[in-house]
Amino acid sequence: MAAGVAAWLPFARAAAIGWMPVATAPMPVPPQEKRRGKDGLIVLNVSGTKFQTWRDTLERYPDTLLGSTERDFFFHEDSNEYFFDRDPDIFRHILNFYRTGKLHYPRQECISAYDEELSFFGIIPEIIGDCCYEEYKDRRRENQERIQDDEEADPGNELVSADLSFRESMWRAFENPHTSTMALVFYYVTGFFIAVSVLANVAETVPCGSVPNRAKEMSCGERYALAFFCLDTACVMIFTVEYLLRLLAAPSRYRFVKSVMSIIDVVAIMPYYIGLVMTDNEDVSGAFVTLRVFRVFRIFKFSRHSAGLRILGYTLKSCASELGFLLFSLTMAIIIFATVMFYAEKGSSASKFTSIPAAFWYTIVTMTTLGYGDMVPKTIMGKIFGSICSLSGVLVIALPVPVIVSNFSRIYHQSQRAEKRRAQKKTRLARIRAVKSGGAKAYLQYKRSRLLIGPDQEASKEAGQALVCKTNPNFEVHHHHLLHCLEKTTNHEFLDEKTFETSLREVTLVKQVSRSSSISSASSPHGFTSCCSRRKRKTFNVPNSNMSVGLQGSIQELSTIQIRERPLTNSRSSRSSLNAKFEETVPLNCEQPYITAAVISMPTPPGTTPEGDDSASSTDYSQANIVRVSAL
Amino acid sequence: MGALMVIFSLQPKQRRKTTDSVEDELELSAVRHRPEGLEQLEAQTRFSRKELQILYRGFKNECPSGVVNEETFKDIYSQFFPQGDASTYAHFLFNAFDTDHNGSVSFEDFVMGLSILLRGTVQEKLNWAFNLYDINKDGYITKEEMLDIMKAIYDMMGKCTYPVLKEETPRQHVEVFFQKMDKNKDGVVTIDEFIDCCQNDENIMRSMHLFENVL
Repeated sequence: MAAGVAAWLPFARAAAIGWMPVATAPMPVPPQEKRRGKDGLIVLNVSGTKFQTWRDTLERYPDTLLGSTERDFFFHEDSNEYFFDRDPDIFRHILNFYRTGKLHYPRQECISAYDEELSFFGIIPEIIGDCCYEEYKDRRRENQERIQDDEEADPGNELVSADLSFRESMWRAFENPHTSTMALVFYYVTGFFIAVSVLANVAETVPCGSVPNRAKEMSCGERYALAFFCLDTACVMIFTVEYLLRLLAAPSRYRFVKSVMSIIDVVAIMPYYIGLVMTDNEDVSGAFVTLRVFRVFRIFKFSRHSAGLRILGYTLKSCASELGFLLFSLTMAIIIFATVMFYAEKGSSASKFTSIPAAFWYTIVTMTTLGYGDMVPKTIMGKIFGSICSLSGVLVIALPVPVIVSNFSRIYHQSQRAEKRRAQKKTRLARIRAVKSGGAKAYLQYKRSRLLIGPDQEASKEAGQALVCKTNPNFEVHHHHLLHCLEKTTNHEFLDEKTFETSLREVTLVKQVSRSSSISSASSPHGFTSCCSRRKRKTFNVPNSNMSVGLQGSIQELSTIQIRERPLTNSRSSRSSLNAKFEETVPLNCEQPYITAAVISMPTPPGTTPEGDDSASSTDYSQANIVRVSAL
Repeated sequence: MGALMVIFSLQPKQRRKTTDSVEDELELSAVRHRPEGLEQLEAQTRFSRKELQILYRGFKNECPSGVVNEETFKDIYSQFFPQGDASTYAHFLFNAFDTDHNGSVSFEDFVMGLSILLRGTVQEKLNWAFNLYDINKDGYITKEEMLDIMKAIYDMMGKCTYPVLKEETPRQHVEVFFQKMDKNKDGVVTIDEFIDCCQNDENIMRSMHLFENVL
């Protein structure tokens, strides 16, 4: 919070003089200076290592051990110092936090020891500065994982909430088979049938021994055609049912249909149905045969069952640029060498190098050091270039491969880290927002607490200040006074988000009525007292319009009236202003008797008792409800 | 000014037109400013020795290099007003403190400004405020200048206010201000009109003494 720049508060307060000529309302009284006397050095003895710092430095953060009275427990009278039996190395960082406002995490320290020290001194780790935060979180997560590996993995830690809909539970069963036994059974059954289907496809083509009335060997597929057909049908039915169920359970059907796995599923089962439709037509049976090739895609369905396959597929996808580079350089080399070999072998008779594309095959086989031997150069030049080709093949292929491998490893770890960073960013933004709103909330809270004590100014103020000062240090009090001055300058008040939302809604309603009762705005000073009396008599609906107009429509008039009336009774206007604010910021559930006491103690201006407000009694009763809600 | 021990100094730009870019990079990172001695500052301002010590410690803590540039200044000032946007007003404040207009506020500027604000006579304080409002320092406050200042102040309130901040609120406020201050109705407020009017206004007079015991 702004405690980090506490040293600049005097400057900010001095600069507030720039607002004074502009302000139309009187400024609030500054809080009394808490004369604490000594601005002395404090000696902190941490296991023998002595640290010294100013008292003010420590008190910047009053909600920690060193900044609050909790440190008195560690005061050692004999040596007049504060003694802590803790690690001095880590304490150095903690003390630096007080000095600079930034908490750093030393990399060589053990994470759990560091955490312990932080919790001992009452410092929340979220304050760790951005420079060290990622490192800290990484180390912490590693530590957690290490602890978790030691313990047994608890299968029951997934939330089994009973109120998941059937569709959602089905989807969860599909995605995480370990959640229930039914899902596990389904998982293994489908896996089994995928294996069966693939094996059947493979076995279909194996020659099964000859049948007496046929010359050549039959494949098993032709021999046991019916059996294989039944098997195929069973598998495809299972796959179809599975696909339809997944489609039904998917939270976003459109996204599911677009996903790779579903495409694989479709491609796996389509040939069967197409085959069913097309067996009547003899012409396209050739095409039907080729469709069978697609049945091999069923093996990719295993990627649902194997995480390794998924990772491999993902990394191939992410290494696409490197693979593309490899392919491109290979293509270049192939074309170059094929051309050279073609022209080198052109002279020789009966050479297999009939054209450059024909030479491609030789080049590829040679560069990958396969060397089938079906095409060999016969001329001397051809042999020379052939050997250059095979040597360069080794280089061209060997060079990009380590790049791809290292890329793969980097991308893999990066993808893990990207997830981490996304999650951390969210928490960090939330942290910053919380700190900001915390600062704002602290001020609103202070206002409320102050005003509750407010009206009996002199006497209870001392007590109030004492109470307030126990929880808020000197800095906070002055900071809040500064914000209060700003409110006075602009004649607007700070609100928190929720109240702001509700008040936004009412402004639109109130505006409609403000026109009708603008006449009564002249009696706006009454608005102050009458709104208190409104509290007293809930059924009295008149003054609401006055107050709403007075406060929302003609702030300027009010303030000028205040200035005019000031010479009469100084305290009255300030008190009434306090009361006015009291209406808005104090929650409705404060005690009634207290309010009435405040009203009675005020000297009521002549002729401004609630009777005087009967004149404008034509307003809506609903106004009362609306305006009262705004005080919540 | 005193013992200005500046390594590759970040001095007024007119002298730097012909330097290399490399040197410029070195400049920005190695600016150091050591203020004048404690005695001299004590003589020039109305602070006691101890107060100067406290002020300098806080100043140096936040700005180890000894000078504040506008960005840091805006940063620091914004931390006091978490709900709104204090950068515009901080910009005007910066210009008011940076009396020699060299783009940075040294400790001397800082402490001179504070001396006027906290320990000066009412006349000096009003002078300072006039200087703040007079953005182009021509001796007159026009309505446009005042509107800029007013908007900057209202910006600090932020969005969540009661009553809701409307577009014309700053403008209305400026009108009120001019009605009060501009005696001869010529559309500008001079220093004499300003001081005159403020001295006749009890509220303002009282608020001028508000922060006297800040240190």
